[in-house]
Amino acid sequence: MDFFNSAIMGFQLAFQPINFMFCFIGVLIGTLVGVLPGLGPVAAMSLLLPVTFNIPPVSAIIVLSGIYYGAMYGGSTTSILVNIPGEAASVVTCLDGYQMARQGRAGPALGIAAFGSFIAGTLSIVGLMFMGPFLAAGALRFGPPEYFTIMILGMTVLTFLSSGPMWKALLMAAFGLFLSTIGMDNVSGIARLSFNIEELIDGIGLVPVVMGLFGISEVMLNVESSMERSIFETKIKNILPNLKDWKASLGPIIRGTILGFFLGILPGAGAIISSFASYAVEKKISKHPEKFGTGVIEGVAGPESANNAATGGAFIPLLSLGIPSNAVTALLLGALIIHGIQPGPLLIKEHPDIFWGTVASMYLGNILLLILNLPLIGLWVKVLKVPYPVLFPLILLFCLIGAYSLNNSITGVIIMNIFGLIGYFFRKFRYEAAPLVLALVLGPMMENSLRQSLLMSGGSPFIFLNRPISSVILIAAFLLLAFPLIPWFSQKRPAFGE
Amino acid sequence: MNNDQVSSGTWFFIGVTICLASLQYKLGTLSSPGSGFLPFLSGLAIGFFSIVGFIHATIRKNRGEVWASFLKAVRWEKALIVLISLFAYGLLLELIGFFLCTLLFIGFLLRVVVPQRWLLVTGGSLLITVASYIVFEVLLKARMPKGFLGF
Repeated sequence: MDFFNSAIMGFQLAFQPINFMFCFIGVLIGTLVGVLPGLGPVAAMSLLLPVTFNIPPVSAIIVLSGIYYGAMYGGSTTSILVNIPGEAASVVTCLDGYQMARQGRAGPALGIAAFGSFIAGTLSIVGLMFMGPFLAAGALRFGPPEYFTIMILGMTVLTFLSSGPMWKALLMAAFGLFLSTIGMDNVSGIARLSFNIEELIDGIGLVPVVMGLFGISEVMLNVESSMERSIFETKIKNILPNLKDWKASLGPIIRGTILGFFLGILPGAGAIISSFASYAVEKKISKHPEKFGTGVIEGVAGPESANNAATGGAFIPLLSLGIPSNAVTALLLGALIIHGIQPGPLLIKEHPDIFWGTVASMYLGNILLLILNLPLIGLWVKVLKVPYPVLFPLILLFCLIGAYSLNNSITGVIIMNIFGLIGYFFRKFRYEAAPLVLALVLGPMMENSLRQSLLMSGGSPFIFLNRPISSVILIAAFLLLAFPLIPWFSQKRPAFGE
Repeated sequence: MNNDQVSSGTWFFIGVTICLASLQYKLGTLSSPGSGFLPFLSGLAIGFFSIVGFIHATIRKNRGEVWASFLKAVRWEKALIVLISLFAYGLLLELIGFFLCTLLFIGFLLRVVVPQRWLLVTGGSLLITVASYIVFEVLLKARMPKGFLGF
């Protein structure tokens, strides 16, 4: 099937009423969780994952992807109006977006955030359409050693980019790897560390762990601190940016798109890093860098474009190599596996409907988001006014229902609660959960490819260095691990991560 | 001891426990790794990074970093109430059923964590329970437990 036929098939799938509906639901929920501080796309996707068990795989991936890129759109609203980022990727938007709102320019700030997100989101999907199949074709030559080293690189990049000391991120990755070994060993058939609990034989389960670490712990932290937030009372007018705004924003949007897309491909926290990188670039090349932070539109346009472009980029390693680059795509990978689809280079060939249907739905979703974000901005502001003391029981209830309905068992609820407590302490002691989640998802694949590689080499670990691709990847991973030992890098890295 | 010394010390014991627990499964050989191979390796890695962390934290302590209480200036008892209510929900769900359990859970949280007016507590919990019952049980066909009341 050639490129254009595949693309047409994708659009036919995306426009099917059921998929259109799920795309709409996905972006709507995504915008909602983006708008609401305290509920991120990871928690929302894990909540909805059990619900998608009963729908076709294409629709499931469409709705879950919609939540992901929808949240990136919605995150800017709270940054601009409340000075609280709805999403980590929108943190940097607070700097100039909120200042614009204080100067009575909330409308143009929200408008350029939506338009920039739309342009970047759409262009990144074009990139995904062209690069995905190309990369997948190349990856067909990969064997177990290459896969193992790519996964090692993915985890190393994520730990490198995590905030705080690198040993904490590596420790989290090691713990995630351990958690992934709980349950049935596919080779020997032995149930490992399952304590004779039937539900643990299939493994500890990604969804309750993620809901606990991200959802429950977030609520626990929010309820123990002040739950009051004030919305900057301003009349939102002139939501369509004027010619001067466009002139100032076009460059940042294009630069943010390119930067975000390529940073998004790299395993790690793509959307967050790319928004910060875009802000830094814009400030660096600006003729008036001193005005950044006082309410310049470039400070909103660049980062908001970058974080949306990064979502498209993040789909490339997921759909073409079967390797997630962050916690959200790790969940999408989990969803594919649950639906009986083996992610990897053969995915595009064997399940073209999944790849092209998802890509086409993302075009559609971006248009829907533009419609949702501009005329309905008043509605989102009203949602923001729902007091958190009323909202949090609802979030907890969704988590409980999601955890229970995974296996219709209390075990999921207990696991989620335990990881809620663990996540609470992680945050208190400043441990990032993202490397843990990535390792938990990659663990079984890593174990398989490690065993196969060692079997191939007759037990020689040098197989990873003897093959050109895997050796280059391994050296890159090693360099990333070694960089923090160099004083200059160790000083720069935390600033980059945070 | 500062926070990182305490946490890395805890991780060291977790790492050692994992290593010991994984010994009950065969570690195998490099040419044929057994079931305990990866859990053992991950336990080893946790132990190693915790030692690195402890050294790092000790250096920082010598530079003046002290224990910072994470329970100070926060209402941690509210977080505890939330956690207890979550476990209670798990324990009671199959016993008293989804409807009643959810009603009590929402009502309890609305009234206790940040006390709301009784009208909001009763009305809100009833509304949320009925809405979630319709969405999850009726529309999405999630099979939530019915309990002794039959719904």
